[in-house]
Amino acid sequence: MQLTKPTLHNAAFLKPGLSLALGCLLFASAYVPARAADDTIKIGVPMELSGRFVAFGTSGKRGVEMAVDAFKGRVANKKIEILLRDVQSDAQVTVQVLNDLIAQKKVNLLIGPISSAMVSAAIPAWRQGKPIWISHGSTTPRTEEEVGAEPRFFHTFPYSYHYQAAMSAGLKQALGSGKTAAILYADDAYGRAALPAAKKYFSEAGFKLGVEELVRSGAADMNPVLQKIRFSKPDVLINLVQTSDLATLAKQIRIAGLETPYLTDGVDIFIEEWQKAVGDAQEGWIGVAGYFPGLTRPASKDRPDLFPSLAEWEAKFRQRYNAAPAYLDVGAYSATIMLLLAVDKAGSDDPEKVAIELKKLDVQTLLGRGHFTPTPSGTMNQAFQDLMVVQRQGGKNVIVYPNDLANGKLIPRTAK
Amino acid sequence: MMYVQLAIDSLLLGGLYALMALGLALSFGVTNILNFAHGEAIMLGAYGAFFGLTLGGIDPLLSLPALMLVGFLAGYALFRYFLKRLLTAPQVNQILLTFGLGMILNNAAAIAFTADMRSANPSYASESIRLGEAYLPMGRFIAFGVACVMAVALLLWLHRTEYGRACRAVAQNQLASTLAGIDLKNVYAVAFGISIAIGVATGVVLSWVTPVTPFMGFHLLVKAFAIIILGGIGSIGGAMAGAFLLGFLETAVAYFVPEGIGWAEGVAFAVLFLILIFRPRGIAGQAAEG
Repeated sequence: MQLTKPTLHNAAFLKPGLSLALGCLLFASAYVPARAADDTIKIGVPMELSGRFVAFGTSGKRGVEMAVDAFKGRVANKKIEILLRDVQSDAQVTVQVLNDLIAQKKVNLLIGPISSAMVSAAIPAWRQGKPIWISHGSTTPRTEEEVGAEPRFFHTFPYSYHYQAAMSAGLKQALGSGKTAAILYADDAYGRAALPAAKKYFSEAGFKLGVEELVRSGAADMNPVLQKIRFSKPDVLINLVQTSDLATLAKQIRIAGLETPYLTDGVDIFIEEWQKAVGDAQEGWIGVAGYFPGLTRPASKDRPDLFPSLAEWEAKFRQRYNAAPAYLDVGAYSATIMLLLAVDKAGSDDPEKVAIELKKLDVQTLLGRGHFTPTPSGTMNQAFQDLMVVQRQGGKNVIVYPNDLANGKLIPRTAK
Repeated sequence: MMYVQLAIDSLLLGGLYALMALGLALSFGVTNILNFAHGEAIMLGAYGAFFGLTLGGIDPLLSLPALMLVGFLAGYALFRYFLKRLLTAPQVNQILLTFGLGMILNNAAAIAFTADMRSANPSYASESIRLGEAYLPMGRFIAFGVACVMAVALLLWLHRTEYGRACRAVAQNQLASTLAGIDLKNVYAVAFGISIAIGVATGVVLSWVTPVTPFMGFHLLVKAFAIIILGGIGSIGGAMAGAFLLGFLETAVAYFVPEGIGWAEGVAFAVLFLILIFRPRGIAGQAAEG
């Protein structure tokens, strides 16, 4: 038998078959991912899972996990696919991760990162595709300036000025006008960003602002600053210092026997590790919070399956993670549930439709009312800005403001 | 009265700095290896004291000798079995290896202990003694006392014991020391072990002064390096002088310059810069000029 040489005729005969086979392959390759994509809702979750802000990212991740579980892993009849990425508390890595999630993975929904610095780094990368962005973190008002009136940016964490607005109102109500206040701020992004708001709101509340002192982040000795404050004898010391610096400061204030009767902070005083680190030095500190462990809040009437009572949710959290939830855990859970509710109502992850549904949402969450409103500085969507003023008394949290939630009165601390 | 408080604060801060720098000065002075993992020895010492107090109810001052012994043995073994291979390697290899070791240790600590900040709170940590308008914080005064005891013990060991004298001899002239029959590698390992033990002691006292975290070491290491350069690399006395000078400068700037605590480190490092230009060997160190 002679093998036929390839001829033009043979080639012409093979062409339609090859074309058909290639076409089938192409169709199949295009069809399979399309079906997979249609069956899933992808959510990009860039978080600080290592590095300096690991505590923030860990809370964010836990909140998202709990929320996805509350939806049993499905929303709008599709499977939820969480694309969790570690931004390593590094601005450059954050940009790379955002670029990958938006340009390569084509996510339409984003939750995270948390810290102000990482959110700031993420903004230009986010602008490339502008998916729906639930930003549960970043207290610096610079985020507002950078984002502006973007309709797909949903901020679910108070800005630092919300802290100062609540704190100054609470102290004014308790102490009256004409009291003096000193400010102590850290030379980091948090301290410097919070300073203008503290001056503005406390001045407007009638406090006479005196000494304004800076502390170096990471300093082992803050005593020189405390001595200057001691000489100025303020009624209130406004502390714009975070995390480990606040622990050092609180201990040194106690050791120095500083007589200032009212010491204020943001949310750090509710963190269990801070309380353990400073021991008795926590007595009398005043903070602002939307949540703290042990707070009572009933289940949502509409969706008790998603927003049970705080006690029930805390018990679930402790069982799963063997730890007390922080404000960020509860907030990340509430914010993620709000996003999933909006996706459910939109029937897809189409950003336009989800944005519309998020704007319409008005639900009772673990942090109180979950509803987006514009901010005075021009951003479109802000939730959870209502805060309580809470004082550490006898190792417990006592709400002193607003009146409808208060369960105790503000009392001056005494130097030992 | 502010001057009394300034003197107290300067002295106590200088004591802490001296303790941070002593171990590093010893290990570099004798072995000539820049140990970039020294900060992690401090960190592990702090965790040891913290867990000793919280889990075992052992006061950090009581756990100090045991933790130092563990630190010495770990440092000795580390040098004997790993770092001695670097003695003839380029200095960049020494830096990379010890830096890498430090990274492994602080990440391992983050995994094992989590990144949560902790602090030992023995009763004396929050006590203070009033001296008129000024006051003396007990916790830091005890830390100062530990620094003084360590410095005196180290100097006595270096001058009064056979091994100490061998260490000094090796630091001055390695070849002559070998010819005199000194077991060079064992002297190196002992000196390195002692430097780690002092690092651990630093961590123990810091456990009640500053928050304990897996990443606390690097910031302390940078400060310790600055101090030994200021004092003169390889000089124990110089390191002490450098530590107290830095402590005084930082405190004085913090007291007398508006918002000075933010400038304190900058001014201190500016002095370091000037010393390096006009006296490169530092306050009391070996000649470093070309």
